[in-house]
Formats: sequence, structure tokens, C-alpha cells
Amino acid sequence: MSAAPSARDAFWRGVRELLPAGPGVFAWGLVTGVAMVKSGLTVAQATGFSLLAYAGSAQLAALPLIAGAAPVWVVAFTALIVNLRFVVYAAYTRGSFQHLSAGRRALLGYLVGDVMFVRYVALLTNHPDYPQRVPYYLGGAAANWVVWQVASLLGIFGADVIPTDWGLELAGTLALVALVVPLCARLPALAGVAVASAVAVAARGLPLRLGLLLAVFAGMGAALLAESRHGAARRGSSAS
Amino acid sequence: MSTPEIWLSFLCITLATVVTRSGLLLAGRRFVIPPRVESALRYAPACALAAIIAPDLAVDDGALRLGLDNPRLLAGAAGIAIFALTRSTIGTILGGMIAFWLLTFGLPG
Repeated sequence: MSAAPSARDAFWRGVRELLPAGPGVFAWGLVTGVAMVKSGLTVAQATGFSLLAYAGSAQLAALPLIAGAAPVWVVAFTALIVNLRFVVYAAYTRGSFQHLSAGRRALLGYLVGDVMFVRYVALLTNHPDYPQRVPYYLGGAAANWVVWQVASLLGIFGADVIPTDWGLELAGTLALVALVVPLCARLPALAGVAVASAVAVAARGLPLRLGLLLAVFAGMGAALLAESRHGAARRGSSAS
Repeated sequence: MSTPEIWLSFLCITLATVVTRSGLLLAGRRFVIPPRVESALRYAPACALAAIIAPDLAVDDGALRLGLDNPRLLAGAAGIAIFALTRSTIGTILGGMIAFWLLTFGLPG
């Protein structure tokens, strides 16, 4: 790590570091593809939906509403709430992207996903001065896009032959488990994860999936609280 | 829903996606984030992931199931243990799925 990496190296590093979660992303895309067709969408509609929205959890949240003929504004508002965590992600990444053109910023924002974002935070945490951030991000985001869309299309076209009782969507959840465990190494993050989990479960009955958002904010608050207490205890025990 | 309404829904969902993912990136420097909020953001990914995972594993058909009779919860616990021991994402996914299948469909033989 002495010489600065080239943009090409950084792109492929992004691809490489995303791919271990590939099977999880794939399984999730497959399940979303199948779910879209099973909920009554035509193959053309499901394909258009996947290529346009590229938003697994918002798509899954919208399906029962579309199938149940909910008003369009309810569908849109639900998608907005489910996607609000991306505003938090954008608040983190914006510093790295500010020098880019508006079009590029819009594209990089559109391509963000949960897996990609966690990888990117890990990169900047371990290498705060990493020079090729944008190619790295683009590599991971492109890999995620390809894996997701291929899986989603396979799910759409194979909806009739892919078994739905194998619990395949659990593979996507397990990929997220592998992302969150290493983030829990320190006490404040562990406190945040515990509180976010409890609130998400307790608030699951809220409409428009508001519980997800509430859980993220409660978890972040708990982590900050733990950080200030933990930090105070440390300052008390050492001279620094 | 009629076909035009369905496509209108897709467009609205796409718009919601673009606004939430790219909106802040396009707002530029005019929008200043306070330092305290900035430091809270470091915990956002862990909290967001936990908020997605926990109901997936612990809630079944709207009901909280924290017992040993919930195969998804046990598969998640197996996944956590496997990752802690091996640091392998693929091992976590495969091990968790195998645990789930064994618990759901029974041991072979």
C-alpha cells in the first residue's frame, strides 16, 4: 500500500470487496423478481419496475399495495419512507463526491445500496486518505447492480419454476448479518444495533414501514449516548 | 390497479429512490450538516442493517417469535456465530441456509 493505486485498480478492488456478499444480493434479487410476478405484475411490468427503481426493499414494500389497489400516493409515500435511510447514506458520502458534476453525483447516488455503502464506510474508516474513492465506489456499485439485475430478471422469467418455499430470501438477510457483525466490534455501535433491532421489532406494526426509520434514529441516538459515556469513562481513566 | 396506474406507481417509486439517494448529493454545499449529526452518521449503516435484519429473523406473520421453535432466528444466530469464527460472508450465507433447511425440513435419514 505504498504507491497510490490507479483508478482501474481501485475499481476492481471495489468489485472484489463487494462480491463476497454476491450470493446474498443474488438470492435477494431472485426472490424480489419472483415476488413481483407472483403479486400479479406482467413480465414486462416487473422488468420495467426492476430496471427503473433498482430498490429491493421499496419494491417489496410496494407490491402488496399495488396488488391491493392502494392509491398511488400511498405507494409513493411508502417507497419514500423505506428509502429514507439513503438520505443518511448520502449525508456521509457527499463530501467525497462534491467535486464531481451534477450528473455524476446523481448517478453515484442512484447506484448506492446497503452492501455497497457498508463497504465504502469500511474503506474510509481503514484508509481515511484513500485517493481513488470514486472508482472504488463505482466498482462496488456496478458489481452490485449487475448481480442484482441478473438475479431479478432470472426471478421474473423463472417465477413459475423457482420454488418459493425454500426460504431463499433468508440468504439476503444472512448477507446483511455478515455485514453488520464486524461493525459491532465497539460498544457504541453494539448499543446502536441492539436498540435499533428492538425498536424495529417493537414498531413493526406502524403504517408505511415507519418503524424502520424510527429504529435507525433510535439506534443512532443510543450509539451517540454510549459513545459520550464510554469516552468520558476513558478520559477519566487516562491522562489524555 | 389499472395498467397506467401501475406504471405511474413505478415512476413515483423511482422518483422517491432518486430523491432520497441523490437529493443531498445534488444540494451541494448550501446544505450544511452539524458536526454532531455528522458523527452520528458513522453509526447509520449498522443501525439501518439491524433494523432490516431484526424483524426478518424475529417476526413471523406479524407475531414476535423469540423461541427455539423459530428456524429463521436460529439460522441467524448460526450465521452470527459462523461469521465471528470464520469472517467468511459466503460461509455465513451457506451455513445459515443449511441450518434453516435442516430445522425446517428435518435432518436427512
